[in-house]
Amino acid sequence: MDALKQQIRELMVAELMLPMSPDEIATDTPIFSPQGLALDSVDALQLVVALEKKFGLKLADAEAARTTLHSVDTIANAISSRVTT
Amino acid sequence: MPRQILITGANGGLGLAIANAFLTESPENHLWLGVRSNRDAATALAATSPDRIHLLDLDVTSSASWESAITTVTTASSSLDVLVNNAGHHQDSLLATMSDEAWHGVLDTALTGVFLGCRAVTRLMMSQRNGRIINISSLSALLAPAGQANYAAAKAGVLGLTQSFSKEVARAGVTVNSICPGYIDTPALADMNPEQRQIALSRVPMRRFGKPDEIASAVVFLASPAAAYITGSTLKIDGGLF
Repeated sequence: MDALKQQIRELMVAELMLPMSPDEIATDTPIFSPQGLALDSVDALQLVVALEKKFGLKLADAEAARTTLHSVDTIANAISSRVTT
Repeated sequence: MPRQILITGANGGLGLAIANAFLTESPENHLWLGVRSNRDAATALAATSPDRIHLLDLDVTSSASWESAITTVTTASSSLDVLVNNAGHHQDSLLATMSDEAWHGVLDTALTGVFLGCRAVTRLMMSQRNGRIINISSLSALLAPAGQANYAAAKAGVLGLTQSFSKEVARAGVTVNSICPGYIDTPALADMNPEQRQIALSRVPMRRFGKPDEIASAVVFLASPAAAYITGSTLKIDGGLF
């Protein structure tokens, strides 16, 4: 699971061109909250496309996206549960 | 490297000129011509180069039709590099007497069709981290004449859509631009009577109508690597009319 979370953080930094290293993103940091990474809806779209391409993660609707994209932890949970089910 | 290029409204004068320009630009350009009921001219063009030109059944007003068309393209080629949203039609009348059907019909094709096309290719092009979308608007979007409330509103909507959408996909390497042709010598212009043509001509500082090739060359440019930093732009091509 830690390896998966590291992959997600690396993907976020690379795809969203974040000005930080992957290790600076705590896995429970809220991705879109102003108190967290403060990413915007354009970043969200890009993240959705990147997660689908790399991990085959498909988010059914906006509510699923909101829940799943909360943090690196929630993204990792969604990917691993998709793989194991 | 081969490029896959989808052109809607490909049976019209402008669509055919755009298709021919891409064919001339590179032997590696592969064309997908979106056509609906009228397809004679596009079929004839496809027959000249069947290995590079494919006809696509496409109702631009239907999201299901778009989905099917994009699946057809990506199944055959796994990518789509350029989308030219060119489909549209006039149904002119004064607003006071404009029918609901005339309003919705023009809006559906010229504006909703562009929205559905852009949406249909968004994830694919973002995933490729490469894509060019060129939306054919009209000078009517900037300089709306009487009798075209539906067409002018639709084409102005295309400019707003282009600007907004371009910001959403810019980081993913996808560019979105609009072209506003003025009076272009296509079969659509031939519908004018001689007096209307003369009045139109007198308004154009260059004193001539544009040629379809002069729009097509701009489309090819916006789809080229040379235009990589141009996005959200509106390019008017009108002989100085506006």
